[in-house]
Amino acid sequence: MLFALINKELLALTRDVNGLAALFLMPVLFIIIMSLALKDVYSPAIKSLQYTVDNRDNGKLADTLLTEWEKRHGKPRQSSATWSDEVRNGKLSYALIIEKDFSRELAAKQFGSNKQLRLIADPGMDNGVYSANNAELIMIATELRAQALLAAAQVSQHQMSQRLSRPESKTPAGALGTTVSAQSLVGTDRLAAGTRPTSVQQNVPAWLVFGMFFVVASLANLFIQERQCGALARLASLGVPTGTMILSKALPYLAINGLQAAMMLAVGVWLMPLLGGDALSLAGIDWNALLLVLLAVSTAAIGLALALASIVRTHAQASAVGPIINILMAAIGGVMVPKFIMPEFMQRLAEFSPMSWGLDGMLAVLLRGSDVAGVLLPTAKLMGFAALMVIIALLFFRRPAN
Amino acid sequence: MLAIRNLSYRYPHAEKPALAGVSLNAERGQILGLLGPNGAGKTTLISHLSGLLPVQQGDISIDGSPLSVIRRNTPTRIAVAPQDYAFYPMLTVTENLECFAAAGGLAGDRKRQRIAECIAFSQLEHFATVRAERLSGGLRRRLNLAIALLPEPELILLDEPTVGVDPQSRAFLLDAVKTLANNGAAVIYTSHYMEEIEAIADRVIIIDDGRVLRDGTLSELLNDGVAHVRLAVDGMTESQLNALLARYGAVESSGGEWRVMLATGQTPAALLAAVEGAGGRLRHAEFGRANLEQLFMTLTRRSLRD
Repeated sequence: MLFALINKELLALTRDVNGLAALFLMPVLFIIIMSLALKDVYSPAIKSLQYTVDNRDNGKLADTLLTEWEKRHGKPRQSSATWSDEVRNGKLSYALIIEKDFSRELAAKQFGSNKQLRLIADPGMDNGVYSANNAELIMIATELRAQALLAAAQVSQHQMSQRLSRPESKTPAGALGTTVSAQSLVGTDRLAAGTRPTSVQQNVPAWLVFGMFFVVASLANLFIQERQCGALARLASLGVPTGTMILSKALPYLAINGLQAAMMLAVGVWLMPLLGGDALSLAGIDWNALLLVLLAVSTAAIGLALALASIVRTHAQASAVGPIINILMAAIGGVMVPKFIMPEFMQRLAEFSPMSWGLDGMLAVLLRGSDVAGVLLPTAKLMGFAALMVIIALLFFRRPAN
Repeated sequence: MLAIRNLSYRYPHAEKPALAGVSLNAERGQILGLLGPNGAGKTTLISHLSGLLPVQQGDISIDGSPLSVIRRNTPTRIAVAPQDYAFYPMLTVTENLECFAAAGGLAGDRKRQRIAECIAFSQLEHFATVRAERLSGGLRRRLNLAIALLPEPELILLDEPTVGVDPQSRAFLLDAVKTLANNGAAVIYTSHYMEEIEAIADRVIIIDDGRVLRDGTLSELLNDGVAHVRLAVDGMTESQLNALLARYGAVESSGGEWRVMLATGQTPAALLAAVEGAGGRLRHAEFGRANLEQLFMTLTRRSLRD
């Protein structure tokens, strides 16, 4: 009896193609995608970041610093007058600015009041990478400063040795009343638009985009129920135009996406501080740009849902395929793994994920303070994707249930 | 009212056509019973009338106007109550009716009036606020019918409307269908229950393999039927009886009962006399012409279709 029941279970399993796909295909895809996406996570991701240099100093120490930085981070992009715009919109991850007195002050006993070495970062740069860059820059500058100070002190090495041997002097610089650390000469900052980049500021846009795409399974299942029970055919026989039927499905989900967005933003703004986390800041953002991006994300999600609903035949298919597509888009698109961590070819692949476009738009508004013009590219991509999906939906919409 | 001429349809990649030269008429005030085994072409025919399939070959017209024109200009003149429960299970009876009434172009007072009339016609008053998913099979059938009647259609297609309902609901639905025809609608009624067709159809069409096998009034069809004798006999072996009865026509036997479709020129009296003359004792004998089910089985043969 047990054997017969086990046999039945195995037969049922082998005949449920969608269930099997979810059981086997999903883990395989996840292993491949996540392994590739996280390939470089234990080697410094900062190596592959695009940066530029604005060297206003003619001194030797500036050149030495840049040579050392290049060894660690690769060659910089050609400097241009618009580097600040490029950093602000994320095309460059950071810019290294060396002021004209850097070499002189680095070798001097006392610093002036101005920062001579600045790293200006993309507002969307990960906090860990931002801190690592800052620490590394201070470390290199300090090393150069120590070498310069030691070289200057060689002429009176004997005197120096005597002073160093005194127990109250722990460091030669201290003995000279000089700080070795170049920390106060170095400044790092983000080109933020009045918002402080926090994990909440970076996570809310990602999961908001992810959540909005989850209407796919809901809409697809309702649609299949309508088609299977014949209600859709009945509406068609009553003369309801296909466009009206599609619009009647799209508009409620547009409202649901709107509510989702409002709720998730509210959680970031009000709930997270109550739970001890950072608050999401919406201060100074361009609301029109935010609404435009949200509308585009919603349109793309609903378009995908309509296309999927028109193509798949059963609830099982919708329940399996919808979430799989969502999770894959999220894994590839930088929602689950930040794009900067991914190897270059995965970053190129990410450019094909609508979630990546949505995330780019949201980060541009919430972290970079972009206006409507600044989010036109991601919104155009999302709208184009939505249009393509609706065309597919229209082609398959009237297909009979059986 | 409805005239179909030489309608043929072949599904993509199908080996044979689903419909092959079908012609029929449906008149106002009449119920046309449409009979056919599974896969005979009934659903394909209904799909044409409900606008779900295009006419590939042949012609369908309503009062002389092509079906395509009617469907484009006044689609609600034709209503379909499909075999499935084609409504929203999560909505109440009234909510479903409101949804489909609006879809059919009804609004305002007219919409409210038609919803009330259809609820009353289907006797759904006590269930108006009940979600459709909680209705019994019979009530769901009544809701399916009520939705079809909302736009006051002139041609109503009912696809097996009594499947899975209790005898009371079936009697109610059959009465309701007769009322619709009496009120002037043309009704096409498909069913696998022959007694339903015998009870309500004014004309009967039997189709199989996409072709019309018979088209006529019920009495015309039954008069065409072959005369037969059913009998049970003691005192003779099975082989003796088979050999004797075969002289009078085609013989079938099951459960100790024999059925002879009398050949031309043979009479029941001669057959019964021959049985008694051979020493058989008649336990039971019945003479008559084939009923609709027998005619249907004879025409469509007994082989299973799916």
